[in-house]
Amino acid sequence: MSLPRSILRAFLSSAALALPGMAAANTLTVQITADIRSSQPGINRDAGTDSVVLNVVEGLVAAGDKGEIRPMLAKSWTVSADGKTYTFALREGVKFHNGATMTAADVQWSLEKLIRDPEFSCKTFFDGSRDAKVESIKAAGDHTVVVTLDRPDAMFLNYMAQAQCGSTGIVHRSSFNEDGSWKAPVATGPFVFGEWKRGEGLTLKKFADYSITGDKPDGYGGRKEVLLDEVKYVVVPDTATAVAGLRSGALDVLPYLPPGEAAKLKDEKGFTIVAAPHGGLVTMLFQTTDPLMSNVAMRHAVIAALDTPQIVDSVTYGLGIPNNSLVASGSLYHTAAHDKGYVYDPSAVPGLLQKAGYKGEKITILTNRRSAINYDTAIIAQAMLQSVGINAEIEVLEWASQLDRFNSGKYQIMAFNYSNRTDPGLAYQTVVGSKAKKANTVWDDTEASALVNKSLQEADPAKRQAIFDDLHARFLDQAPLVMLANGLDVGVAGPKVKGYRTWQGFARFWGVERRK
Amino acid sequence: MLKFAFTRLLSAIPTLFIVSVAVFGLIRLIPGDPASLMLGDLADADALAAARKAMGLDRPVPVQFAIWLGDVVQGDLGRSVLNGQPVLDLVLHRFATSAQMVLIAVGLSVLVAVPLGMAAAWRQNGGLDLAIVSMSTLLLSVPTFWLGLMILLVFGLKLGWLPVLGYVSIADNPVAGLIYLVMPVLTLVLHEVGIIVRMARASTLDVLRLDYITHARAKGMSESAVLLHHAARNAFGPTWTLIGLILGNLLGGVAVVETVFTIPGLGRLIVDSIYARDYVVVQGCLLFVALTYLLVNLVVDLLYPLFDPRVTAE
Repeated sequence: MSLPRSILRAFLSSAALALPGMAAANTLTVQITADIRSSQPGINRDAGTDSVVLNVVEGLVAAGDKGEIRPMLAKSWTVSADGKTYTFALREGVKFHNGATMTAADVQWSLEKLIRDPEFSCKTFFDGSRDAKVESIKAAGDHTVVVTLDRPDAMFLNYMAQAQCGSTGIVHRSSFNEDGSWKAPVATGPFVFGEWKRGEGLTLKKFADYSITGDKPDGYGGRKEVLLDEVKYVVVPDTATAVAGLRSGALDVLPYLPPGEAAKLKDEKGFTIVAAPHGGLVTMLFQTTDPLMSNVAMRHAVIAALDTPQIVDSVTYGLGIPNNSLVASGSLYHTAAHDKGYVYDPSAVPGLLQKAGYKGEKITILTNRRSAINYDTAIIAQAMLQSVGINAEIEVLEWASQLDRFNSGKYQIMAFNYSNRTDPGLAYQTVVGSKAKKANTVWDDTEASALVNKSLQEADPAKRQAIFDDLHARFLDQAPLVMLANGLDVGVAGPKVKGYRTWQGFARFWGVERRK
Repeated sequence: MLKFAFTRLLSAIPTLFIVSVAVFGLIRLIPGDPASLMLGDLADADALAAARKAMGLDRPVPVQFAIWLGDVVQGDLGRSVLNGQPVLDLVLHRFATSAQMVLIAVGLSVLVAVPLGMAAAWRQNGGLDLAIVSMSTLLLSVPTFWLGLMILLVFGLKLGWLPVLGYVSIADNPVAGLIYLVMPVLTLVLHEVGIIVRMARASTLDVLRLDYITHARAKGMSESAVLLHHAARNAFGPTWTLIGLILGNLLGGVAVVETVFTIPGLGRLIVDSIYARDYVVVQGCLLFVALTYLLVNLVVDLLYPLFDPRVTAE
């Protein structure tokens, strides 16, 4: 205790660069709860990996703030009259991280390599097994790339921009070793992939020759001006340790905090809480083949017993936005028709239960502790259901076990989060289908299925809007699941950070400053 | 001694085989599919089937076991299904991280706990004994995650003396590496001291009751000479066995301490791999842990005669 802090600090200075919070002045230190899986866009990925890698790589197109498709490495594109040929005009003078200038040949090579890779997460979007097949990718001169599909596909550009597809990021040949194995991304994004110590963290460095476009940030498109020298990600799996790190200054940003933990920091001076819904779905799924839950009156009884805005408010500590539509609240397709939601009406429950022939049978709600939102939702829903005479019980499973039950369809009710879907058509496609073909399908309805397929083939926004409005009305009527809200990402930025915001669950570090 | 060591190593082979069967079977009994965990809720049936095939999970479990065991015998523990890294490299790297923390912690614990235990026995039922026994009971009762968090909050956050998170290998930067180890080592030392003190006290008490100690005192030897020259060496034998068990146990991973202090050690690797159902890594880690445990205890047994010449490694 007698060792003065200043002396200790001086002693520590020999190791200063190795200590979080004591590193170079313009370094932003960011928590990641788990290490990234790989540095290769679209391959061996998860959401956390995408969030890091998409600061480094860019595709021809990108998703904008509201899910619109924006230009990125392509400055424009045209679609042929038959909807099968996409001609991309590339931006000129774009540099790779190794200093090479991007050409149409590079784009052709990179896209071919990714799309034909058997481990590509989005292989089925491009190989014809569920959507159109990419028949050819050709460079026409130095600045034009022509992609030809075997049939029209209104979602083609959307798939190209998807985060889980790594935004079909364009990488230079030197990203690979001579034997064809992956080395590290040499791409065109605003950050250069730096040192990666597995299990510990990694560093992204500012790309000095980044070719800025646009006048303001817009999703993964728009202006990407880097105001930092580097971003240092540190793997901190424990929330309490991460919060201590933020308070001590060792960490600047915690991008993914449980809402309850973020709420505790809300009143502390200097901390900025950023919360925004993304295209994920926070739900309670009904197994519509279960003897009890197959009865639509029973499902309506459960819904009438649930005060969904109250649930959302409680589980997100006031940070979430209730949404009973599968069309995300931030989507340009979320019109007034989609504001129509469930009616909380406990007085209607007895009549509905009688109609369903309910005789007090036990109903089990599956949930997990990995997601605080899932767990809290199940607890509150159980109380609400019990208060109207529905014999609800909770079974808490470890996440992998719950995912197994989801995939096999073995449940009655399940608190479950779907990951981010940037387009309403993809959100509907996630839950709609045939249970006979895919056990984890939730909404098994032939007409709804046909409408979803139509929405995925329709390019006209007005016609798509009409389809989504129709689907929403059917969704409320058939009640195959309880849609509570869109996924919510809550982050906290420390007092030295300026400009940090979250979007669609991703932590983007352009436009972010760290003050001295 | 060599014959003893060789026999012990040979007897480890069936033990390791049983461990490998148990680990292989048990991890597959836990619900959860590595392929669906990897692909998440985006997976369709075809993608899941392809991923399962790529991981070799589409084959019958006995076939999977036979293939894995065949590779292990040749020194190949396989590759992580999560990131494709060779499991042996992964395990050795993480083990080195855990080992530097554990060896320092156990060494310090012995240096502190053995004299304290002997002092408590020397002053049995006195104030010093009561204080030492009470403290060791308290340290034993406190969960390591709580102790670790308290140490982190006091020395990292309140006093600002030490970095609250991050890790640097001693090999990369000795000064920074040691600084990062202070809090996790302190947590482990406080916990292990509680255990070792009690054993050191009990075994010293046993020795102090023996006739040759009474004889030494009757000859007029000072208490310190009796304790240090006659009691200490004989009393250390049982404590040495316990230290071996503690060392073997901790070298197998201290997941809680590694999680609190963000140390990328073997324990965290095992826990993360279980959650991700990375079967190959879990199997490799646990086989390695079993082997480490056997080797540590073999070394302890071989060194035992140094403390008690009546025992021979035969």
